Amino acid sequence: MARSPGPAGESVSIPSSPLPQRRRRRAAGSPWTPYLFLAPAVLYLVIFQLVPLLQEVWLSFTKTTLLNPNFNVWVGAANFQAVMANPAFRQTLLTTLVYVTACVVGSVGLGLLVALLLNGRFPGRAVARSLVTVPWAAPGIAVALIATWMFNPQFGILTRTLRAVGIDPGPNGVLDNPRLALAAVLATTIWQLVPFVSVVLLSALQGVPQELVEAAQVDGAGRWMTFRVVTWQVLKPTIGLVAVLMTIWSLRRFELIWLMTRGGPLGSTRTLVIDLYAQAFESKQLGTAAAVGMVGIVISLIVIIGARLVARAAAKEA
Amino acid sequence: MSLRPPRRGRSISVLAAIAVGVTVLAACSSGPSASSGNSSAGPQPATITFAASTLGDPGRGPGLQKLIDEYNASQKVVTVQPAAVPYPTFGQTVLTQMGGGEGPDLVRFDMPEFATASSSGLLEPLDDKIDAAKLKLIPGPDKYLSVDGHRYGVVFENANYAMFYNKDLVPNPPKTFDEFVQTAKNTTKGDVYGLAFRQTQAEEAGVWQDIFNYVLGFGGDWSDGKKLTLDSPKVIEGLKAYQQLYDANVIPKGADAATFRKMFANGKVGMELNNGGYVTATSSANANLNFSVSRIPFPEKKQGTLLAPMVVNANSKHKDAALDFMNWLLQPAQQVKLQGVLGASSVASPTERSAESLKKFPFLPALDELTDSGVPQIVNGFGPQTADIRHIVVTEVLAALQGQQDMATAMAKAQKQAEKLVGQ
Amino acid sequence: MRQIRFGVTARALAVLVVLGLAIFPVYWMFVTALAPDEELFRSTSVNLLPDFSRFGIFGDALADGRVARWLLNSVIVAGGTTALSIGLGIPLGYALSRFAFRGKAAVGLALLFTQMLPEALLVVPLFAVFRRFDLLNSLHGLILADTAFALPVVALILKGAIDGVPRELDEAARVDGGRPPTVLARIILPLIAPAIAAAAVIAFFSAWNEYVFAVTFVFDKSLQPASVGVAGFIGEQDTSIQSIMAVGLLFTLPAVVFYLFAQRYVVSGMTAGAVKG
Repeated sequence: MARSPGPAGESVSIPSSPLPQRRRRRAAGSPWTPYLFLAPAVLYLVIFQLVPLLQEVWLSFTKTTLLNPNFNVWVGAANFQAVMANPAFRQTLLTTLVYVTACVVGSVGLGLLVALLLNGRFPGRAVARSLVTVPWAAPGIAVALIATWMFNPQFGILTRTLRAVGIDPGPNGVLDNPRLALAAVLATTIWQLVPFVSVVLLSALQGVPQELVEAAQVDGAGRWMTFRVVTWQVLKPTIGLVAVLMTIWSLRRFELIWLMTRGGPLGSTRTLVIDLYAQAFESKQLGTAAAVGMVGIVISLIVIIGARLVARAAAKEA
Repeated sequence: MSLRPPRRGRSISVLAAIAVGVTVLAACSSGPSASSGNSSAGPQPATITFAASTLGDPGRGPGLQKLIDEYNASQKVVTVQPAAVPYPTFGQTVLTQMGGGEGPDLVRFDMPEFATASSSGLLEPLDDKIDAAKLKLIPGPDKYLSVDGHRYGVVFENANYAMFYNKDLVPNPPKTFDEFVQTAKNTTKGDVYGLAFRQTQAEEAGVWQDIFNYVLGFGGDWSDGKKLTLDSPKVIEGLKAYQQLYDANVIPKGADAATFRKMFANGKVGMELNNGGYVTATSSANANLNFSVSRIPFPEKKQGTLLAPMVVNANSKHKDAALDFMNWLLQPAQQVKLQGVLGASSVASPTERSAESLKKFPFLPALDELTDSGVPQIVNGFGPQTADIRHIVVTEVLAALQGQQDMATAMAKAQKQAEKLVGQ
Repeated sequence: MRQIRFGVTARALAVLVVLGLAIFPVYWMFVTALAPDEELFRSTSVNLLPDFSRFGIFGDALADGRVARWLLNSVIVAGGTTALSIGLGIPLGYALSRFAFRGKAAVGLALLFTQMLPEALLVVPLFAVFRRFDLLNSLHGLILADTAFALPVVALILKGAIDGVPRELDEAARVDGGRPPTVLARIILPLIAPAIAAAAVIAFFSAWNEYVFAVTFVFDKSLQPASVGVAGFIGEQDTSIQSIMAVGLLFTLPAVVFYLFAQRYVVSGMTAGAVKG
């Protein structure tokens, strides 16, 4: 980044009457200043994300194989038509929806409960707060390995526990059962996400003003009422941020699902990313894979814009 | 909100210009810059990489590494290094790298990937580099490595499929399919299963290898060389036999190969249809296992073979060096050692089994005899599309196993999808 | 939440259950790594305790040399990714928080949006970019690739944290003659240190766990990070369940230790920030 001389400097003239100035030129600097701060990161993302993404957009309108990615035959919207006409793709969309929703609801809900639990006083609190975060630090590949082994249909400790308590997943076990595989993958994912959510919410809980809690209690509010009126109001923005992060990460999650089930059995755990990967690297059709990716991107955009609108509406309400 | 429109226009256009510039840079592909070199003068000093899933096997990997070390020590010009490609994503990774103009110099492929790569121009033609007559390459398997009249590889390993059985659990190996089913049923007790095979989506390539034996063993074939015959009665009959065993609850269902092979090595599985390469793995997992190998007891004396070619990447900058290693490995002395590493597989040229290995594994000659009746696991006439056909077939067959449809419906659907795929 | 009167014992019990659920799978990796084959393949009984007589398997794994190399490579890649994404993310987050400019909303949306791009979508075009700039088969190349995927979330977290710093503080500093970079470095950064730690942890883990780029962009065995190394234990012919669990655990432990170490700063600092904000 070449530093252009002066732009930041000229703004430092001390204003004689700071208040009106402040209104106009928030953080000072010349009009170029924000762009100087932005430039390195934006340039970086243009090279490593935007340019490859634009190429993917182009690929989605071509027939291109993994083996010769530079040889593209323009096919117009044919890839999109093929993807949309495939009944399996509708299942993929539904599976993605279920997976992402359950991940977000499950991890935020359980994460909140764990955070509330750890926020109280009890012996060994510091140790407990540390240990509970272990799942989040465990690498996805290691988690997939141990989860697969624990769900092993003959010898897995989870399968055997399930059988012992009267829930027989059938001779195939859980991961090869089309009705249970998604639940097992979800349980593993949520196990990994809850600690992250609870740590973030735990720190947000420290911001709940005790005076307000006590005041609410003096006014005779019950536990639930106090939670809703005081605690929830403080946590709301943090929960919003966490929910967005969980949505994003769940839409993108690959290794865990791929190593546990490869999207099977019968496509019951095939999310958009798994479908994309299978199209690109198993069927070697980069064009089709790019079209799947574009559908995913459109869905992501809808989610982001939807989240913004909801947040804005909530802000207005408050 | 503080900027006036003209400025904004400029800054956006600067960004756009950068974006376009980078796009152009990235989009213009540079072809492989390898020069063919002067082949007469011997290889230039180089370090080359060799990708083989064999290197990741705890049983066979160390042996192959030792052989590579021996080559590296035998001369000072070329150093062969194992490439870092884990088995779970082997094909995808290597093909992505090769399609992108890079990749390991030498690769040990499975047939479906070989067929795809050779038809896409990713492999170096070896026509005048390999003297098949002088090296005495076994013609049967070797002929599969030429595509459109050009040789693209040599046999690294050719592992015939046979029936592995635990002699303590199965004292009398079955001779017919009915006996096979009965033995599997009789052997299944408690933690012990009569049979094991792959039957999950997570192991698509493995399921394909396993059902190949049932289809061939019941007289079927995926194609007649010109037309796909996925829904022919013989194919369906073979797959129904596979399903019959699945439904008989004689296998550890849902278990992956890593698990049930360990179970076999620990005496928890009576029989398994597997390739000869598995002999080394089994004896390294449990040296005391009392097991033997015999022909698969299906009506038709035909079975799949795991044919694994070794190829030179067309992008390689050191083709001479790669060929030097390849030719070294094809010499009789090295072939014997390679066969020792690979277990009961055959290699590119005929080798004599050592007295020592015959004493350890008296069934080896029986395995070697199967080479004539072995069929590589590709769809005859549709080599490059094998991986895609495999995906279709395995998906439909597994849906039948899960009770979603009967086998005839499954294969009718598979036939339709595959015909669309190959444009018939 | 002290008002929730839930006996200390009941709470302690509930905490124990949660901790048990959180820790058990990792503990089970440990038990599995130490179990003999006949123990693994027995469904009639189960031994819940590790067999310490077989502890040597961890020693063997470490003595291998490769494992230490993988872990070192992972530390380099994850550390580099963390440093680079924080370095690029701070000015970006600052600009988004403190300045009003054309295209701000678009940049914010684009950041969220790039967070959603899966690695698998971009790996082929990125391969071409990397080849062009000679970044393949190198650890710094992996750092660049991983940073592209960590940077957006890092920037968003930092922007949120800077939003929480009262503007009066930078106004006051500017009145004293500080230019924006000085204000950022002197006033804002110390106040958002906890958020930086949180963002660093997220960046570190995303790179520590990354597999798709690592397996495709790196060819040399000596440059493999641990995610690829561990996957290499899944063999074609056979896989040693114990070895893979042992190596998987060795891959997990540094991340856990790092996290436990970083967490003190993350939580304590975040708390302070939240109260002030």
